[in-house]
Amino acid sequence: MKNKILIMILVVISSVTLYGCSRSKPLVIWVGAEVQDFFQEKMEEYVIMFEEREGRAFPFEVQVRAADTGTAAGTFLDDMDAGPDILTVAHDNLGRLLSGAGAIRPIQNEALIAQIEATNPQAFIDVIRADVQGQSFLFGVPYEAQSLILYYNRNYLSAEDVETWEGIWEVAQTNNVRSLSITGADGFNNSFLVLASDAETGERFVRLYEEGVLENTEFVNDEMISIVRWGQAFFSHPNGARLASDSGWEADLRTGTSLTVIGGAWHFRAAQAALGNDLGVAKLPRFTITEDHAHGSVSPNTVMQSGSFTDTKMFVMNRSSDKLEYLEDILLFLTTPEVQEQSFLRNQTLPAYKNALESFEGMTADTIQGQLILAQLEMFNHGIPQPFGREARFNVFYYQRQAPDRLLAIFRNTNNQFNTVESIIEEMNLIERIWLGERP
Amino acid sequence: MIESKNRLFNRFMSKIKHFIASFTNFLKRSIKHFKRPFKEGSKGTKGSYFIMGFGNLYHKQYIKGGLFLTLQLLFLIIFFTNPKVNNTPIGFQAIRNFFTLGTEVGDIFGGLADNSMLMMLFGVVTFGLIAVFLATYKSNIYSSFYSDLRLKEGNKPTTFKEDLAELLDSRFHILLLTPTILGVLTFTILPTLFMIFIAFTNFDREVVPGLNLFEWVGFANFTEIFTGQGEIANRFIPVLTWTLTWAFFATFSCYIGGILLALLINKPGVRLKKLWRTIFILTIALPQFISLLAVQQLLSEHGPVNAMLMQLGILDQPFAFLGQARTAFTARVSVIVINLWIGIPFTMLMTSGILMNVPKDTYEAAQIDGASKFQAFRNITLPYIIFITTPYLITSFIGNITSFNIIFFLTGGDPNVPGSVAGQTDLLVTWLYSLTIEEGDVNIGSVIAIFTFIITASATLLSYRRSKAYKEEDTFQ
Repeated sequence: MKNKILIMILVVISSVTLYGCSRSKPLVIWVGAEVQDFFQEKMEEYVIMFEEREGRAFPFEVQVRAADTGTAAGTFLDDMDAGPDILTVAHDNLGRLLSGAGAIRPIQNEALIAQIEATNPQAFIDVIRADVQGQSFLFGVPYEAQSLILYYNRNYLSAEDVETWEGIWEVAQTNNVRSLSITGADGFNNSFLVLASDAETGERFVRLYEEGVLENTEFVNDEMISIVRWGQAFFSHPNGARLASDSGWEADLRTGTSLTVIGGAWHFRAAQAALGNDLGVAKLPRFTITEDHAHGSVSPNTVMQSGSFTDTKMFVMNRSSDKLEYLEDILLFLTTPEVQEQSFLRNQTLPAYKNALESFEGMTADTIQGQLILAQLEMFNHGIPQPFGREARFNVFYYQRQAPDRLLAIFRNTNNQFNTVESIIEEMNLIERIWLGERP
Repeated sequence: MIESKNRLFNRFMSKIKHFIASFTNFLKRSIKHFKRPFKEGSKGTKGSYFIMGFGNLYHKQYIKGGLFLTLQLLFLIIFFTNPKVNNTPIGFQAIRNFFTLGTEVGDIFGGLADNSMLMMLFGVVTFGLIAVFLATYKSNIYSSFYSDLRLKEGNKPTTFKEDLAELLDSRFHILLLTPTILGVLTFTILPTLFMIFIAFTNFDREVVPGLNLFEWVGFANFTEIFTGQGEIANRFIPVLTWTLTWAFFATFSCYIGGILLALLINKPGVRLKKLWRTIFILTIALPQFISLLAVQQLLSEHGPVNAMLMQLGILDQPFAFLGQARTAFTARVSVIVINLWIGIPFTMLMTSGILMNVPKDTYEAAQIDGASKFQAFRNITLPYIIFITTPYLITSFIGNITSFNIIFFLTGGDPNVPGSVAGQTDLLVTWLYSLTIEEGDVNIGSVIAIFTFIITASATLLSYRRSKAYKEEDTFQ
């Protein structure tokens, strides 16, 4: 009797083990939590399509899992073998993913390359392209985009007021509150000044790793000095801009102590919770260089348009995946303009598709969500994708030695150490050297 | 002055000489001890030097001999077949890899690069395995030699059953200590060694293990602390100074506050003593980070404290107490004061227990001798409390040096210092967190961790060895 029980137990254990071993690993895709259900449904559609086309079952179970797209690249690099087959990352992670031997696979499917080149803005294509071993490859497939926009309190500000920072500033002075809270001290947040351009000509004055070349970087010139001086006036004024209070930028908006916040689409829900129906969304305002700030060859009354780093979320392929032959076909399907439009309509995600504004239904300013999308699209004209994709070093250089904090310190001028033009230029030179990879 | 320096130098040199002499003697004794079984032992014991378990098998201790032999075979198989985990070998190749930290750089279409981090880790693990193996090897020789000695004395070699029985009886301490030692080795010593080794490499933010290699750089990371213009050189001393200042005030403010509170609650005439104690214990019962986040919100610019101060007319605009404070002094004082909320209940609770156990007759004797209440407190209560709580005080000081939560949740290390990762309220340990987790400079973080360890270990040893609680530990009744 005992032997029989023992044999039965062994049979059960062996069966479970064999069943476990015989099941193939599922094909795993990481996407943002907000679009997980959407892409799971899309993959179910894809599997049906694959079976009809190929006349055979898709060989793997497909699992679309939610991941924090901000940290996905880091999590993936910690253990690539345990990572997904396809993951979503922001394009500025590309440098890290391509560091050394590279953790992701270049796109080689011609149909997919053609689709990427036909449907994406050139600026996005430039930042997802990298040279490896003497050859140029595309490494990601963009499908969503985002840029910074202005959230404002409609109780105080009209659509006309928010066209210029001076308009906002004036209302702030009348109400003795702050014009603006920025949500952090990083480079993304100060990009509204660093990437400012001439409102008339569209010329941008800062140069950051243009064409993927380290030396194509310049921060110190007459225009940028003028912009930084204007920024200093704005930040050091009691009714100007500030870093969000330690209660959080949401509290600043809710309590009316700050009239506006610069943020991305990811701040939308919190901004709406803070202001409800009083929330307004607009593109980032312009500002005018006055005689006090104009430096060198810059004429007073030059109007500048605030800029923004833009960002694209893209799918990349794990080079260690054992399903590589299937991945490009999946990406070809998941990033078509049609799927991007469906995602926009259902999830309010901003598509990377370059003709979205003209061809997608529902791209209207009738709703606050529509305004959010349109404001971002407008900001694409005044922004550049973060240029750190091609080389991991660029991202390191741009942020090393707390360069963004140094810039904010000039703006805030808390201890009056940047009262003179010379001291501002000296610090800007230091920041430029940091961006160029020096460790001064 | 020069004479005193010379004396100090001579004393230091004589200590080093003494250490070298002791170490040489220890080595000589060990070698002699190791040779003795070979000279005096049976053929079986001699064989144990080459084949583990041979001596036991010779003495017909089959199970024990078999176990030793199996261990040797297992070790040799692992050592020479170099099994791979995540494509990185453990075994003799791991020792080679430990020194090279990898040579294969990989490429986008070929294989990945060697994983320098795993190579270092497996190198350390292999050294650990060798150490465990050598201990087992020595034990195998002495096991056989012990049987030889028993035979010489006219006794039979012990059976496996007897050995097991002995493990549960006279050698019970070995049975109990073995899992602990293995645990300490695996979870404390190996990670500590790994961390120390990282400090001698260039494993920084530009390295992704598995994609690029890192290499040994000697003492470069250490010298950067005292030379150069970098983050470490500029900020190490200020951060260290604030860390020690914080630890001092955080420890003694809570200590004194706790004693005073305990004295107040235990004062005869105070009613509802248990209720008061329970209320204060509640702060211990709550997870610390929840209390800290609540306090952070209370003190924030739009929080209730600011609102109240503004309504009372004390402030005309919100005041930043913490990370965005205008001066480092404000933020530092704020965190020390908030820490009282977290720390006082611990001391209060402990001191209450001590106070309840001070022998009453001591006070009665003092009263008869005409001592005032203050004199009784100064000469009886206080020494009693200090004697018992000194180890706690030291532990608390060390704990505060490595106190992560309070700074991390309250100020995040701010107010910031432009150009520096370390803010004005950053402690060594929060700075270490920023450098490793946020900035990815694992090598520099390791150097700071080593310095933190040296400081805490030295402070603990020095203060504890000089305390009465250590010197007179047998006198306490």
